[in-house]
Amino acid sequence: MILLIARRDLLERWRDGRLLWAGGMILVLLLTALAIGYEHRQQARAEQRAAQSADYADWLKQGRRHPHDAAHQGMHAFKPEAALALIDPGINPYIGSTVWLQAHRQSEVMFRPAQDATSLQRFGELSAGWILQVLGPLLVIVLGFNAFAGEREQGILRQAVSLGIPTRAMLWGKAIALGTSLLALLAPAALLACAATVLAADAGTRLDTLLRFGLLALGYALYLGIFVFLTLGVSAAASTSRVAITVLLALWIGNAVIAPRVMAELARRTYPTPTRLAFNHALDADLKATSDRLWMANFGTTERWGRDVPLDKWGKALQLDDHASYKVFDRHFGGLWDTWERQQALQEWSGVLLPMLAVRALSMDAAGTDFGHHRNFTDAAERHRRLIQDIVSEDLVKHADPLGGQHFAYQSGPELWKRIPAFNYHPPAAAWALQRSWRSLLALCAALGVAFAFAWRAASRQRAY
Amino acid sequence: MLEAIGLTKRYGANTALDQLDLRIEPGDIYCLLGANGAGKTTTINLFLNFIDPSEGRALINGMDVTRSPLRTKQEVAYIPEQVNLYPTLSGLENLRYFSALALGRELPRDRLLGLMEEVGLDPAVADRRVGGYSKGMRQKVWIAVALAKQARALLLDEPTSGLDPHAANEFSNLLTRASANGVAILTTTHDLFHARHTGTRIGIMKQGKLVENLESQAISDLELQTMYLRHMGGAA
Repeated sequence: MILLIARRDLLERWRDGRLLWAGGMILVLLLTALAIGYEHRQQARAEQRAAQSADYADWLKQGRRHPHDAAHQGMHAFKPEAALALIDPGINPYIGSTVWLQAHRQSEVMFRPAQDATSLQRFGELSAGWILQVLGPLLVIVLGFNAFAGEREQGILRQAVSLGIPTRAMLWGKAIALGTSLLALLAPAALLACAATVLAADAGTRLDTLLRFGLLALGYALYLGIFVFLTLGVSAAASTSRVAITVLLALWIGNAVIAPRVMAELARRTYPTPTRLAFNHALDADLKATSDRLWMANFGTTERWGRDVPLDKWGKALQLDDHASYKVFDRHFGGLWDTWERQQALQEWSGVLLPMLAVRALSMDAAGTDFGHHRNFTDAAERHRRLIQDIVSEDLVKHADPLGGQHFAYQSGPELWKRIPAFNYHPPAAAWALQRSWRSLLALCAALGVAFAFAWRAASRQRAY
Repeated sequence: MLEAIGLTKRYGANTALDQLDLRIEPGDIYCLLGANGAGKTTTINLFLNFIDPSEGRALINGMDVTRSPLRTKQEVAYIPEQVNLYPTLSGLENLRYFSALALGRELPRDRLLGLMEEVGLDPAVADRRVGGYSKGMRQKVWIAVALAKQARALLLDEPTSGLDPHAANEFSNLLTRASANGVAILTTTHDLFHARHTGTRIGIMKQGKLVENLESQAISDLELQTMYLRHMGGAA
C-alpha cells in the first residue's frame, strides 16, 4: 500500500511538471556548481603545489648569509585545497591560504580569495554545498507542500481515507515518493561529484576522500530528510495548500536566511572574542612581559640586544626568546581559536531546530574546509616555523663560542638550509573529521526525529476534511 | 449491517444529530431525506468516522466505528456527492490506484475495464485523463472502485445530485443490483422520486432528528411528498 501511494505520488509529480522544472533547474545549477568547483579546485591545487615548490627552492638557493637573516626571510606554508572543496569551499574564501613562517612571530593566514572577489561574488559563492543547503529545502517544499493539503482541498483525501487507508501509511508513501524524487534528481549529480572528488584527490588520499564524501552525503541525506517530514507534517496540519506553502516558506526563510545571521550574532555575544587591536595589544604585552622575565633571569637585564649581553650570547638569547614566545602564542591564539570553536559548537547545537546550521558545519567538516581543518593546517605551519627557528638558533648557538664577538659576521650556507625540510602538510584523516562532526550529526539526527514525530502526529490527527 | 444507537453529534450549542437510532440490514436501501442541515451528511460522516460522535455509537457489521476505524471502513464503500479524482491520471489509472488501495492488490487491466463497462463507462475513455471527465463519468469511476471493493455496505451522500436523468436512472439500477446481492445501502438525497422508487425504506430528518421511518412500499409518491412538505414547512 505504501509503495502504491509512493508510485502514484511520483507519477503525478512527474506529469504535473514539478519534478521536471523545479528539479531540473536545481540539477542544472548543481552540475554548473560542480563544474566550476572542479575547475577552481584543480587550478588552486596546481598553484599551491607550484608556489610551495618555488618557495622552498628560494629557501634552498639563498646562498651564504647570517642564519637569523634567513629565519627572517622564512618560508611560506601554502594550504592545500581539499578535494571536497569543489563541493563545499567552506571558510576557505574568507580565511586565506598562505602563512608566512617568519622569525619571532606567528603569522596570520593571508591571501583570502574573497579579498579579490567582485561584490557580486561576495554575495555568495555558487557551490554545490550552498545549493543543497539553501535551495535543497526549497525544492522539497515545492515538490511536497500540497501532498496532504492539496488532496484535502480537492476532496480526494476524504475518499482515500474512506477506503480504510491508515493516514500513517499515506505519510510513509508520500515520504518515499518525495525521497525518491530527490534521489532521482540528486543521484546523477552525486555520482558525478563523487567521481570528480576522487579524481581531484591526491594519490593515496582517494579512499579517505571517498569516506569524507560518504559523511557529506549522509549529512545532506539527513538534512533533506528533515525537510521531507517537515513539509509533509505542515501539509497534513495546514487547512489549505496556500497556508501550507506560506508556513513552509516562512520556515525556509528562518532556516536559510535569518538563522545563520542571528545565531552567529548570538554565539558572538555568548562567547565574545576580542577585536583584532585588543588581541594584538594583549599578545604584544604578554610577549614583552614574558621576554622581560626571561632576559632578567638569564642576563640580568630587560634591555634586549644591548651592551649588557655579549654578542656570543645572542644566539642563545634568540633561542630562549623564541622558546618562551611559543607558549605565549599558544595561549593567545589557542584561546582565541577555542572561543571560535565554542561559538561554532553553539551554532551546531542549534541545528536541532535550525538544521541548516548543523548541516553547514558537517558539510565543511567533511569537506575539510571548516575552521577545525584550518586550525590543523595553521598548527602544522606554526610547528614548521618553530622548527626553522630552532634549527637556525641552534646553529647560531653552536657557532657562538668559536666566533666570539663575530656574531653578525657568521654566515651559514646550503648545508644548513637543507636541514630544514620542505613544508609538507597532510590534512587529517576522515576519521578525525567524523570525530569532530558528532555534534552536527547528532543535531541532524535529533532534528530528523523531531520532524518525523511532528509529521507522524500531524498525519495521525488529520481529518479527511 | 449498519446500526446507529443513540447517535448524537453536537457542535457547541448546536445539535447536528440528535439520538439517531437506525438499523439497516443487508439488502436494504435506506434513503434519508431532509432539508440542508437536517443531519443527513453528519450521519454519513459519523459512520465513516470522519467525525467523532458526541454520544451514542455507529456500528458497521457489529463493530464500533470509533474503536475499529480501519476495519469498519474496509466493510463499506463511500460515494460522495462530488467525486474527485487525480486529474493527471486516466480513469483507468485512478480506478487501478483506488481499487488497489481498497483491496491491497492491483487488479488486472481486463478486470478494471470490465468494472468500467459494468458502471456504464465507455472503455474508449479509460485511458483518457480524468481532467476532461464530466461529473457523471467521475462518479462512475468511483462507483467502479466501490464495486471492486465488494463492500458489504454502501454509504452515499446525495449521489444523484447533478446527474442527468439518464445517469441518475442508471445509478438507481446499480443500487438495486447491489441491494439484490445483499449489500446494505444508506443514501442521502433530496430526490423524493428516487427515494420512493429505489429505496426499500425512507427516513425523513429534521433538525438533527429522524422524524419519519417508513417502508417505501407502504406509501405512495403523493403521500411521501405531502409528508415531506409538512415536515419541511414546519422547519421553515
